[in-house]
Amino acid sequence: MQPEEQRLHPLSILFRLAAQVRTFAVPGVAALVTAGAVGWEWQVWAMPLAIPFALISVVQYFSFRYRYDANEMVIRTGFLFRNERHVPYARIQNLHAVQNVFHRLLNVVEVRVETGGADEPEATMSVLPVSAFEEMRRRVFKEKGEPAPDTAAEPAAADETLLHLPPGELLLCGFIQNRGFVVIAAAFGLLWELGMLESLMESFFGEDVSGRGLLRSIAMALFGQGGLPLEAIALTAAAVVSLLLVSRLISMVWTFFRLYDFRLIRAGKDLRIEYGLLTRVATAISLRRIQTLTIRQGLLYRLFKRAAVRVEMAGDGGEDEEGNSKQREWLAPVIPESELPRLLHAVVPGLDLAAISWRGFHPRAFRRELKGWVLTALLISLPFTLLLKGWVLVLLAALLGWAWMGARLTLAHLGWAVSEDEVLYRSGWLGRQISVVRFNKIQAVTIRESPFDRRAAMASVAVDTAGAGESSHRVDIPYLARETARELSDLLTVQADRTAFRW
Amino acid sequence: MSTPNPAPEPPVLAADPEPAPAAVEPSLPSIADGVERHLDPRAVTLDRIVSGIVTAAISLSQLVALVVIYFVADDLPGRSMALLVLFWVAFTLTLAWSSYRWPEVEHRHKSYKVDERGIEIRKGVYWRKVINVPRSRVQHTDVSQGPIERSFGLGTLVIYTAGTSHARVDLSGLEHATALRIRDHLLPEEASDAA
Repeated sequence: MQPEEQRLHPLSILFRLAAQVRTFAVPGVAALVTAGAVGWEWQVWAMPLAIPFALISVVQYFSFRYRYDANEMVIRTGFLFRNERHVPYARIQNLHAVQNVFHRLLNVVEVRVETGGADEPEATMSVLPVSAFEEMRRRVFKEKGEPAPDTAAEPAAADETLLHLPPGELLLCGFIQNRGFVVIAAAFGLLWELGMLESLMESFFGEDVSGRGLLRSIAMALFGQGGLPLEAIALTAAAVVSLLLVSRLISMVWTFFRLYDFRLIRAGKDLRIEYGLLTRVATAISLRRIQTLTIRQGLLYRLFKRAAVRVEMAGDGGEDEEGNSKQREWLAPVIPESELPRLLHAVVPGLDLAAISWRGFHPRAFRRELKGWVLTALLISLPFTLLLKGWVLVLLAALLGWAWMGARLTLAHLGWAVSEDEVLYRSGWLGRQISVVRFNKIQAVTIRESPFDRRAAMASVAVDTAGAGESSHRVDIPYLARETARELSDLLTVQADRTAFRW
Repeated sequence: MSTPNPAPEPPVLAADPEPAPAAVEPSLPSIADGVERHLDPRAVTLDRIVSGIVTAAISLSQLVALVVIYFVADDLPGRSMALLVLFWVAFTLTLAWSSYRWPEVEHRHKSYKVDERGIEIRKGVYWRKVINVPRSRVQHTDVSQGPIERSFGLGTLVIYTAGTSHARVDLSGLEHATALRIRDHLLPEEASDAA
């Protein structure tokens, strides 16, 4: 019995065409704006080139078919070069659905089928009718033997909403995360491209107030030539402050649009995340696929009694040599501290941060930590020797005091713990992070001893997991007594070996 | 290859009459005895040869550069030229000495231990490192042999995990048969990941 094959929504042709027109139009328009009428002729000549693209969209639509077999989804593509891809339901980790404004108006959805095996999704279905997406979701999750999560629109009674961000929280999140600089940088880039930056700067600040002139006059004042340009300093400071405020404001607006109505829902063994005002994103991840969970609390987060929770997931490439397709997802871009235990409990059962007793370090850990801070203090004060002469000692003293405090507090907030099923590591004084790795996600355990470590009979223990990124907060515990390191490593290796690793 | 062979042996590829080496060798005790072992001493010689080749290559290319300088820069004072030669000799000697000495030092600080729960590899002279890979986390393994390794009967064991910084763990300088035995021990008994 051959299950019947299905096609994409006929509107796919339109969306594909639109995407192609956009790739054509954006450089075209940019060329027109920047180069004036020079680009016209080229544009006209390029127009007929769009016709084959239109044909391709039609052919692509007619050659793309998919069907649901007993255990797998089969996707056939290609007109001249045919391709048949089999994706087992059990391997599908994520159905990632994106709906932008036009999609929503037309009641269609763009779906990415992800197994995590590669950087690219296994299949991109652009676009499906919403009903077809619901059917896909039902089939994929039913065949996985897990309770089928309901449609995106209305969570069923069994689903538990772990986090819902009202507009106020979103604005706070935008304020804290401050992504506005990205937008501002982009705007500056555009102005630069269009050659409007200089005239803008001049009209705003005038010749003598611009940055370089100001810096020079400050330097001259410090060397005793001329008074401090107080007025200019005040003006520049005001400009910087207003830029900071504007960037925060942009960030707030951006976050509001992007994460509007953010919901984190637990449906059986899956987590579902939905967000977006104009472009609505719905994604689902298996709980068992979470490799590392990290709780981050920057300075502002702590000021507002909030935290952020992020998880790292692994690729599914069993035979993939690198095996490290990096995937990270915010479980909670912002969450009140009081709500945190409930979320953690749902994601990592049995985890209670309040009950964790953090373990300490080698007695000489403070001295080791202090050395790094003192070295930094010396390096900072060195260039000021010329400028401040004898007064540099005052600066140095202040920096050393800061170093002492920094080392103290950093060490006070450093910690590690081993609970029933997981190993925990926390670090950071101003920006704090806690990472949690379950034993069954540990890939390798490494003890390291640097020459400095060996002088004090210390060692560090690092835990390797799948899916860790360059900038992720990894479990890498420094300043342990050598015996403690040995014991910890043995314990973790035994525990890891006992559990089977499932992607 | 050009010499005509009167009775060419048919290449045996598919049906090897001999049993796979070390894979099922009941007489040998298990490698997974939890005893810390050093690598094969021949690995030191091998490393010396390899670094000797590198040293020779670097030193020779510098010599060529010296000769070129000698002939091109006529107006170079003899004293500078002598200084350059002296520098070259010192550099070559240092390199040669370290490529003789270092493999031995490195060998002393490199060991491995295989037991039921997995493999433990120690390495590093100044920055020391003990890598523990549990057996259940081994994704797949390679045993590879370069041309020089082959002539010594040595091999390199490569263990792949799903991790990030230790997605690939190398252990070179093993006797080839030992590498195969460790590999056979580390390979999962059955495909339990039927998910």
